[in-house]
Amino acid sequence: MGTSPDPHRFEQVDWNEVGHSRRFVTPARAVFFAGVVLLVGLYVLQRVDTVLLGVYFERIDWVILLGTVVLTSGVIVPAVRRRELTRRVLGRLVSRPIHAAGAVFLGVLSLVAVVGPAVFGSPDLMFQHRFHAPYGFTGEASWSAECLGEVTDGEGITRYCDGTMTYPLGTNHRGHPMGHLVVEGARTTLYVLVFTAAFVVPLAAAVGIVAGFRGGRIDDLLMSYVDVQLCIPAIVVFFIGYMYWNVSLLLLLVMFGLLSWGGIARLVRSETLQRREDGHVLVARSLGASPFYVAKRHIVPNITNTLVPAIFHLLALLVLVEAGVAFLGFHHLELYSWGSTIQEGLDPSMTGVGLVVEPHEVWWVSTFPAIALTLTLVSLKLVGDGLRDALDPRRNH
Amino acid sequence: MIGPEAGSDEEANRERGTDPESAASPLLEVEDLDVHYPITKGLLRREVGRVRAVDGVSFDIERGETFGLVGESGSGKTTAAHSVLGLEEPTGGEVRFDGQSVNELSGAALRAFRRRAQLVVQDPNEAFNPRLTMGEAVAEPLVLHGMEDADRRRAIVEDLLERVGLSAADADRYPHEFSGGEKQRLSIARALVLNPDLIVADEPTSALDGRVQSDVLALLDDVRREFNISILFISHDIDVVRRFCDRVAVMYLGEVVELGPIENVLEFPAHPYTRLLLGSVPSLDPTDQQFERPLTDTVPDPADPPSGCRFHTRCSEIVPPEDVELPWEQWRAVVAFRFTLQAGELPESIAVETADGKLDDATVRDRFDLPATLQDDAVDAGVDQAISAVIAGDLQTARDRLSETVPTVCEQRVPTATEHEAAHSVCCHRYDSTVEAEPRSWER
Repeated sequence: MGTSPDPHRFEQVDWNEVGHSRRFVTPARAVFFAGVVLLVGLYVLQRVDTVLLGVYFERIDWVILLGTVVLTSGVIVPAVRRRELTRRVLGRLVSRPIHAAGAVFLGVLSLVAVVGPAVFGSPDLMFQHRFHAPYGFTGEASWSAECLGEVTDGEGITRYCDGTMTYPLGTNHRGHPMGHLVVEGARTTLYVLVFTAAFVVPLAAAVGIVAGFRGGRIDDLLMSYVDVQLCIPAIVVFFIGYMYWNVSLLLLLVMFGLLSWGGIARLVRSETLQRREDGHVLVARSLGASPFYVAKRHIVPNITNTLVPAIFHLLALLVLVEAGVAFLGFHHLELYSWGSTIQEGLDPSMTGVGLVVEPHEVWWVSTFPAIALTLTLVSLKLVGDGLRDALDPRRNH
Repeated sequence: MIGPEAGSDEEANRERGTDPESAASPLLEVEDLDVHYPITKGLLRREVGRVRAVDGVSFDIERGETFGLVGESGSGKTTAAHSVLGLEEPTGGEVRFDGQSVNELSGAALRAFRRRAQLVVQDPNEAFNPRLTMGEAVAEPLVLHGMEDADRRRAIVEDLLERVGLSAADADRYPHEFSGGEKQRLSIARALVLNPDLIVADEPTSALDGRVQSDVLALLDDVRREFNISILFISHDIDVVRRFCDRVAVMYLGEVVELGPIENVLEFPAHPYTRLLLGSVPSLDPTDQQFERPLTDTVPDPADPPSGCRFHTRCSEIVPPEDVELPWEQWRAVVAFRFTLQAGELPESIAVETADGKLDDATVRDRFDLPATLQDDAVDAGVDQAISAVIAGDLQTARDRLSETVPTVCEQRVPTATEHEAAHSVCCHRYDSTVEAEPRSWER
């Protein structure tokens, strides 16, 4: 043994020297705090009518921006800090082509939803260009006042108008390009995803963990609340809100989001109950770990097998609910959701243009958003399953 | 061996900075420890009873000593260990570590205690978080105690892994890639990384097979010697305890029934329960089956423990009342009959026949090894009535008749711990000078 103590032997560690400093400023907290300060600053600037970047944020936009801050500090910062693990998990996620495809689709969707509206802007109403067919297809020329493509004669007085590259995906009854509508729908969908992931999932996980960990009266109270909540149909509450307040996406997200987390909370609770007596949890507790540390480090990572697919299922469910409610027509008029666009395409004679148009004749209006919606739901499911497998070190591909 | 320098105790003491005065007192003192769990009912959680998991347990552990805690499952040994570590809030009594009450610690003193007392858990398969690499898991105590230098943690862990017989590269592997024995070595490494004074080992070898068991015990013993660590060793396996411990306490239903040096307790067991435990160790020698069977096999519910001596319902050495004149075999048959009825452990043949109404006196007597007549008239009359009640299907009357007929001091009075020999205490009426009963001889 050497004369100077070797700092790399456990019995030579001088614990008085190591000391115990509880760090309050972690990178995640710093990012969260900075993000919130930034948002408050922007909000104040907007309130005093200093128009920034020519963008005016609505209330829903602020909520989603806050959600983005939450997700950045809660998911992206830890992912960057544990680069090795992130790289491994992502590598495993994309190692199966089908999961990779789902992940790529969701990535493209998010990118289009963020960048798209800024790039394409918001086109004016062009009633003269309504029901233009997509490029390479034809529609009846009599539907629109002006045909941009070539007009060909059909039987009798029928004339057909070819689709053009001006509207590569065609237009709807208001003359809105379908590409624009799909992009706007992607933005709505992204809003749903961000809101759910940033607010609903943490709430569900927190309630489940607290109930499972603390047990006793708190558990009884929280779980009976969840039982009550599971009995309340969110759609009824939404309609009550719809009657009394202005309808908005925010109302829908709050009503459905905050009434739909009970299932995940229960799942998390039962898993927590199973894990809290595990040896490694006992050892961590005997070392003086706080309940928050134990939950974060020992409970949550070990329940991803059930939690991750459940989260992605909830995300898919809420995207579908939003589309469904919009399909029924209970959406904000200026908000172009895939659901409302599908409905317009399926029932063109109800859209008030005074034309007799069969849905199949304007198939592009409903088909493109429907494809986008379907791909989104499939991708969410695939990525959920893929992420579950990728997070589990015991699964070998 | 753990390290190149077989550190002397002297050196270990110096490093720990223990002055001679505190070295004189035991490292860990457990005094009259109670851990009761309330049984609650209804919305308002009204307490309707208590599970006395640990009830008045006292022992202490010297520095560098290995202290065993044995007992059947459900005897409260794990709960006792958890409350030693402060994982379980005791409902009564006190645990003192280095002279300080563990439950009153806070701040830096509590952190120091958490560093100096470590836990090794039973099942190696759940001892490690499946989502952490072994390096992260073994370094976790360092992180929790504020060591922020990741490179230093890594170096310490790699050094330690090699010293417990694994390789530094194992730090990057996940728990599922290790065998049970390797995991238990890692478990010991994790308990060692903060350089503790006490390791609580909760059945560390019960999930392992023979040879691996010996390896792990040898490692634990090396660690203890080299770093002068005290070990609280919990086990239901009396053979492992015999090989490993210096002193032992035997627990039954939350109470310590016998405590003493290992060679005394295991070679000359005084308490009937210890004798039962020793007798139940399987042996290859067919002639070695002479131990007495317990009266009943059911361990009573800790929520409703038997009165007096908690072991009396199973005790094969139960003390007869002074006025009863029966040969030992007959006395034993009568009390076995009584407590079998009480525990509801009726042999199936009798239970079935009760329903049919075809049971007769001879069958019952045969089942319970009761002779046709007993030498004591009063007892004989009582047993006759009890048997008739069993035949009539009225078990409650049978139980009442029997408890009136053969009362025993064991159910009436709680035995106190008596010093049987030097440093060897027993909790049994047969060692109590006020009770007229001699300890029975015991031969293995």
